[in-house]
Amino acid sequence: MALSSNTRANGGGSSATVAQRLQKELMDIMMSPTPGITAFPDDENMSQWTATIEGPTETPYAALTFKLSMEFAANYPYAPPRVLFKTPIYHPNVDFSGRICLDILKDKWSAIYNINSVLLSLQSLLGEPNNSSPLNAQAAELWDSDQAAFKQHVLARHKTPEELDA
Amino acid sequence: MDYKSRVFASVFPIPSLSHTTPTPIATPDLAYTAPGSSFGSPFASNVSGQHRAIQRNLAWSTATRFLSLPKSNRSFDLHRGQRSNEVQDAIYYLLVGDGKSEHDGEEGLVEWYTNEARLHFANSMRSAVKDLWRKKIDLRHAWDVLHEVQRMLEQVQNLYLQPFTDHILPFLYQSDGSSSTLRASKVAGHGQAGVADAAFWKFRRDIHAVFAHCLPLKRFSKTLSYVLYDAGCRLFHIYVRHDGVQPSTTPEDTKTFRQRMTSLLQGLERVGLGGDNAQKAFAHAMDKLLDSFIASHYLKVDWYSKKSVAPHLRMWIQHGFCPLVELVMECLRCDPSTVQPTELQQWQEMALGRLGRARVDNLFEFVINWDKSLGAILDIKEYLKLTNAKQYLIANFSQHISRRLLHPGVTTTYILDVYIFIIRAFHELEPKGVLLERVARPIRRYLKEREDTARIIISSLLTEVNDETGNVFVSGGELSSEIAGEMQRPFANFHQDADEELNWGDMNWQPVPIDASPDYKKSKVEDVIWFLLTLWEREDFINELRNIFGEHLLRCQDPEYEKEIRLLELIKIRLGDDKLQACEVMLRDVLDSKRINASIRADSGNLLQTPDHTQHPETPEGAGPRTPRTRRLTTSARSRLQSTPLSKPPEQAALNAQILSSYFWPLLRDDQFLVPAQIQKLQKEYEGRFERIKGMRKLNWMNALGDGTVTLEFEDRTEEFEGLTTWQVSVVYAFQPQPGEEKVAGAKGKGKGKDSSLSRTITQLEEMLEMEESLIRQAIAFWVGKSVLREESPDTYSVIESRSTSAADEDAAAAAEELATVQAAQSTTVKSQADLLTDKKPVYMSFIFGMLTNQGNLPTMRILMMMRMMVQGGFPFGTEEIKGMLVEMEKEGKVVPLGGELWGIKK
Repeated sequence: MALSSNTRANGGGSSATVAQRLQKELMDIMMSPTPGITAFPDDENMSQWTATIEGPTETPYAALTFKLSMEFAANYPYAPPRVLFKTPIYHPNVDFSGRICLDILKDKWSAIYNINSVLLSLQSLLGEPNNSSPLNAQAAELWDSDQAAFKQHVLARHKTPEELDA
Repeated sequence: MDYKSRVFASVFPIPSLSHTTPTPIATPDLAYTAPGSSFGSPFASNVSGQHRAIQRNLAWSTATRFLSLPKSNRSFDLHRGQRSNEVQDAIYYLLVGDGKSEHDGEEGLVEWYTNEARLHFANSMRSAVKDLWRKKIDLRHAWDVLHEVQRMLEQVQNLYLQPFTDHILPFLYQSDGSSSTLRASKVAGHGQAGVADAAFWKFRRDIHAVFAHCLPLKRFSKTLSYVLYDAGCRLFHIYVRHDGVQPSTTPEDTKTFRQRMTSLLQGLERVGLGGDNAQKAFAHAMDKLLDSFIASHYLKVDWYSKKSVAPHLRMWIQHGFCPLVELVMECLRCDPSTVQPTELQQWQEMALGRLGRARVDNLFEFVINWDKSLGAILDIKEYLKLTNAKQYLIANFSQHISRRLLHPGVTTTYILDVYIFIIRAFHELEPKGVLLERVARPIRRYLKEREDTARIIISSLLTEVNDETGNVFVSGGELSSEIAGEMQRPFANFHQDADEELNWGDMNWQPVPIDASPDYKKSKVEDVIWFLLTLWEREDFINELRNIFGEHLLRCQDPEYEKEIRLLELIKIRLGDDKLQACEVMLRDVLDSKRINASIRADSGNLLQTPDHTQHPETPEGAGPRTPRTRRLTTSARSRLQSTPLSKPPEQAALNAQILSSYFWPLLRDDQFLVPAQIQKLQKEYEGRFERIKGMRKLNWMNALGDGTVTLEFEDRTEEFEGLTTWQVSVVYAFQPQPGEEKVAGAKGKGKGKDSSLSRTITQLEEMLEMEESLIRQAIAFWVGKSVLREESPDTYSVIESRSTSAADEDAAAAAEELATVQAAQSTTVKSQADLLTDKKPVYMSFIFGMLTNQGNLPTMRILMMMRMMVQGGFPFGTEEIKGMLVEMEKEGKVVPLGGELWGIKK
């Protein structure tokens, strides 16, 4: 009896504790917002979030806004959130359905990360793609060879949130 | 006509212009006379076989001449003399004999006489009667006029009736075969009518019609109605009358008066004015009489005996009102002239209804004067048994409430008090509570809207009625003593069974009243507190309770907290143990603090000890991190300092702390500023000891809470101040020369003589104390008011070392004192909602911003909903605040309104 309850408390945690943790993260984000990054739950059960990041300046993504969806499992923060780009993006580490190849969202995940740090990593990934393990090989190639052409591809693929909604 | 002329006329009838003249006698009858009969004789009627027309003409002229009424005005004496055989025969011939009118064209004698009377009346009497009515009739003369009319009419009626009864009726009776009895004119009824009776009644009726026709009927019945009303008023000694006539001071002789009324009514009835019209007038009069009687005798509320007047009213209807009605009905010959039991009951209900309505109109007064007004309430209770009474009461009373109670000019305390009275009064009125529920709904809604309602209720609950200084802890002094009184009551059977409806064994179960609204809840107990506590959701109420309770505890001077413990117990019984955990912790905190203080003081020996007076007011210095408390029991604590004299010479100060578990306490003021160095030292000391006792728990000082006592020594006086706020203490301490300044001050002092004190500007103080300007100004105003500081030049203050008598100082002091009082009233220990909003606004705004960025455009309501769900610790505000913030953000260029309630992020 004691053992099982222990396991639950340490290992997974009930959805209530996940919600609590997420609410606390939300509060932290709101108390000290990071410029260019916002995130907000979709509804009261907190497991689905939408985040918005702005492209870093002096990169092909400057002045563009990207929406992402985040999904938290019941054992968060012991498992990474499932993050997808909702806005179409042309990026070496993101495929055409928005899936992301980023180590901390996979095997390098640790419970000390949180929403804010994930989003910050993603923002920096925009400026510094990891071309050694591309999901979009063409983009990776273009990034290295022709920045101007790369940017054109980025702009061609990008859609503003309004266009997305429409 | 004298006798001679009559003799002459009998032989040679004189042609006359009047209609009484039959066919002119001179006109020869062209027919032949029967053989053997004389020709043209006046006695032709006696001769059988004579032509009927002639005979009739003759008889007609004889009879009509005899019966005709005097032409001259107003000669009512009858010199008709004996009727001669001749006349008798003529009348007989015309009425009963062959001369009876046989067809429509032929006028009968009775009709003729009726016409005669009619004409006579028109010629001689009508103008006289009309004269009486020409002018407006003064109420005072109403009686006289009626009497006069009645007298005149009766006189002419006699004039007309006498010949009729003397000379016509007997013949008719003869023909009826009852010739011997001449019936008394009044006995006859239509039913048994022989010809004679029928004729008599017809005649009378005709005359009465003539009479009635010459009177202005409406005015007549009004006058009669008034007269009856007046009579009733006098008979029942009514003081408040519709007509405004003051009753004569000398009591009238009821008997003679009754006589007078009776005779008048009987007279009127005799002249035919007693019919339907009179009955209607009578009904009007009685209607008004009932009103007047109730207004006069029953509207006064008996504030002492507290009894209902309804039984008495019933009795009056039965034994006072009914006999009068019967008397009048008898006079007016109504049929039947007795009051039926059902009628009696109806009247009683009617009277009760009027009494009730009059009472309901004043119900508001009765309610405020509860329970002296019990009598009136009981009357209304009686009234409520009638149909429609409840609707009337609800409509009427609700109107009163909205007009007199629910407007901004009324203080919340008053509304609460009245509400309590209403609860009590209506409980008496209708124990089931349906009415109360209906009536109180608008009040409850209104009370919920008022901001200070919860505050007042809770403060009042915490007050002790018997405590003279009961309102020490309420800033506005707004207390409802009624609520406080309620709290003292026993509430033995308060525990309401939630599943009452499912309690099958309840032998006293009753169905919900038929007129109850869907959300009607049965309240078995008349428990005022229950009504007040259910104004809000329980959680809201407890939050408010926590705030006020916390503030109260911090200000409380009683070291034992006896009252607070008791009150908390009382509230717990009503609200349930589990909900009041926070309050319990708060109470335990302050009690624990006392213990900790004692042990720390004992431990430290000298440093923290209070010199002689342990009760020396304390300077609670709170500490409590406002940033998220990591875990509930890593105590962030506030402490209460006890400090003694600060000013020169700084002797030993003492400190008492209160340690509060911040998790359970409401948000408290946390203005930061520097307390005097001495106190800081004490705080350090205390902290150290506390950590040793409590094992590594950290203290967080909240300097703005608490109070202190200082002794100020001046050149010419020493003053002691108790119960100061900490910032007041800090500010005055700042006027103490600082280490570096002492010499300067001293030197200055020598040069200037009296004005040796230091002066400081507001800005200086701000820097020295790291305190907000508003607090500094508040404290300065206080000290100026106490004649401790003086404003040298704008924003520069110095100590008044020796009190001069200068008027300027005193004026300034008076003005400042006033200001200080006002400001003190505004400062509270617990943060208000508005403060909270200001504090948290940036966070809330970033919430809104994040929400709109990620979720797209949202309406205000949706934003509010999300805020309520997402914000940790709850979002205690409404759409208004949301809109306010949105507008502010719009100004900053972050969001844009998209029409309607919709908002979006500015691109």
